[in-house]
Amino acid sequence: MIKEVLSNLFRKKPALGLDEMPAIPKEAADVAEEAGRLSAIFKRSIRIRQVDAGSCNACEWECTALSNPVYDVQRFGIDFVASPRHADVLLVTGPVSLPMAEALKKTYMATPEPKIVIACGDCAKNGGVYKGAYGVLEGAGNVVPVDGHIPGCPPSPSAIIKGILDVLESAVKT
Amino acid sequence: MNPANERYIEIDRAVFASACAGLFDQKKLLRAIFASDERELDGRLKVYAVFSPSEGDVFNILTFGLTEEDLSYESVTPLVPAAHWYEREMRDMFGIVPSGHPDLRPLCLHGMYDRTIYTLRRDVTVDEIRKASDLAREDDYHFLDMKGEGVYEIPVGPVHAGVIEPGHFRFSAVGETIYHLDPRLFYTHKGTEKLFESRSFEDGVFLSERISGVASFSHSSAYCMAVERMAGAEITPLATAVRTLLIELERLYNHIGDIGNLCAGTGFAVGYAKGALLKETLMALNERLTGSRYLRDVNVIGGVTRDVFIKTNETQPTLNKVKNEFKEFMDFLQNSVSHIERLEDAGVLPKEIARKMGATGPAARASGIDDDIRKAHPHLMYGSLAFDTKTRRAGDVYCRMMVRADEVESSFSIIESLLEQRHGGGLLVPDYKFTPGSQALGYTEGPRGSIFYWVKSGKDGRPLRVKARSASFCNWPLMPFAINGNIVPDFPLVNKSFNLSYSGCDL
Repeated sequence: MIKEVLSNLFRKKPALGLDEMPAIPKEAADVAEEAGRLSAIFKRSIRIRQVDAGSCNACEWECTALSNPVYDVQRFGIDFVASPRHADVLLVTGPVSLPMAEALKKTYMATPEPKIVIACGDCAKNGGVYKGAYGVLEGAGNVVPVDGHIPGCPPSPSAIIKGILDVLESAVKT
Repeated sequence: MNPANERYIEIDRAVFASACAGLFDQKKLLRAIFASDERELDGRLKVYAVFSPSEGDVFNILTFGLTEEDLSYESVTPLVPAAHWYEREMRDMFGIVPSGHPDLRPLCLHGMYDRTIYTLRRDVTVDEIRKASDLAREDDYHFLDMKGEGVYEIPVGPVHAGVIEPGHFRFSAVGETIYHLDPRLFYTHKGTEKLFESRSFEDGVFLSERISGVASFSHSSAYCMAVERMAGAEITPLATAVRTLLIELERLYNHIGDIGNLCAGTGFAVGYAKGALLKETLMALNERLTGSRYLRDVNVIGGVTRDVFIKTNETQPTLNKVKNEFKEFMDFLQNSVSHIERLEDAGVLPKEIARKMGATGPAARASGIDDDIRKAHPHLMYGSLAFDTKTRRAGDVYCRMMVRADEVESSFSIIESLLEQRHGGGLLVPDYKFTPGSQALGYTEGPRGSIFYWVKSGKDGRPLRVKARSASFCNWPLMPFAINGNIVPDFPLVNKSFNLSYSGCDL
């Protein structure tokens, strides 16, 4: 019995046909690499409250994708939460439509200190493709203080994680 | 010259409502009602109502003009309830008053806007609208309130618990049962239609891709089609095939993702994870084929930027894998009694209401309405492809799931036959021109239902009006009807079964 276990442990070809496992998608490897930086930067988990301030919904779907079994950022200690009161990071998407300005401010107020605000996607930076439309405030920075920006329309899952950790890293250093 | 299947009929405004009702009674479906400020062409603001049958490729477009002296007309809504949001939208954006409309509360513009400024009139500038808006102005919106013993209200939103779009829901409940829902949307109203007017027709593609993130390709295809029909540009067979293929790929990832998301509504974590995995596989395929997980930057006026058929050898195995796994996934869901039990009889949308209120897409077909734009108005390659319109009858959450599951199967077979065929021609036709004052419709069946665009060029050949009508604009008003009598905890489930876009509706 012990012999069998040991031989299984040391045999070159892994059991369960693991050599036939599909290669890890590049995007998933990138997400894992970026998310893996968290323990070195912060030594704690982070909780994100995502606020849609008039986005087309593509950024939201990329955030949702981060929790799917391929990216699964929860295993690195990164998670999206339901309430701003539980959040360390506010991730704002969209160009900030007029009716969302107050909602965004209130969400910001409800987030406990210390907090980080990140503008996710081109719209949240300066209005993006919606710059010049009558109903937008052209960027999250015009409504709440913003600590960093993630480019992309929408940013890929790995770009979102990289962007969050980059801002976190510089916040921890300063 | 208008496109051959668009029949414009100019009528007197006094008979507009009864003419609309006449078409509606002949089982023609209301596709859109919208206004256009054409004072620079003939001194009038125009109203257009587009009707078409679910079979027979003709659009009956009723139109009449108004001058600033008298901007009222008899409301269509009492006779054709499907008109109600369209008429409120025209009132907000153009100041055209549908007298006799049963509910003239503001729809699109929240309290911070100056509602005496009609945002889509051509002589109103963006600066003017911005200057007149005041974020501190108190909102004067009145929710429809229900009175009685034990009635209480539950306000939800605009910021929701999930990673989703913003909107406000006001439930009136007794115990756990919902008696009335008043959804207040347009939190993401950005002024997209006016923004189109400041761009060239070519740059508008970029904007149409960003009206609703997960319907980027269907929206841009319908927009490009409208502009191309207006300009008399005939796209190549290759471009036609690429568009057809990608519209179906978009349907696939949406429908499969939506079926998976229903599991989140019932707390069925394994099902949710499996659905998300399948969706992710398709998103990754999108990226390999087009460079964009959301199929963006492929459509341009006059064709497409990429030939996705050169990657058929890569596409086929991925699709076969997803197809087989989806079949297993559906068997797995069907055998999960606790999940299915929650879906059956939840959020029933009766056929009569679906028809009167102008439902579209899987939501309409699940209630027994046999309507699919791919069949009703064959465009792209849909006329030569074999597929059926999938309908169910009970109109509950289960039926909406099954219509999607059936459509996933037909999308797979459409894609297979597209990949087998050869498609000739280049990617782009460079020759087209915008004749001043010309107009055309563009349309397709997106994942959530029919998508319509109507474009008109001004004297300078630039956009005078771009009307975008997303499926969600039609289906949001159905929600209060589907949710009545259900319990509050079923709302997320019923909501997910429609899976409507806020941004696509709010524009």
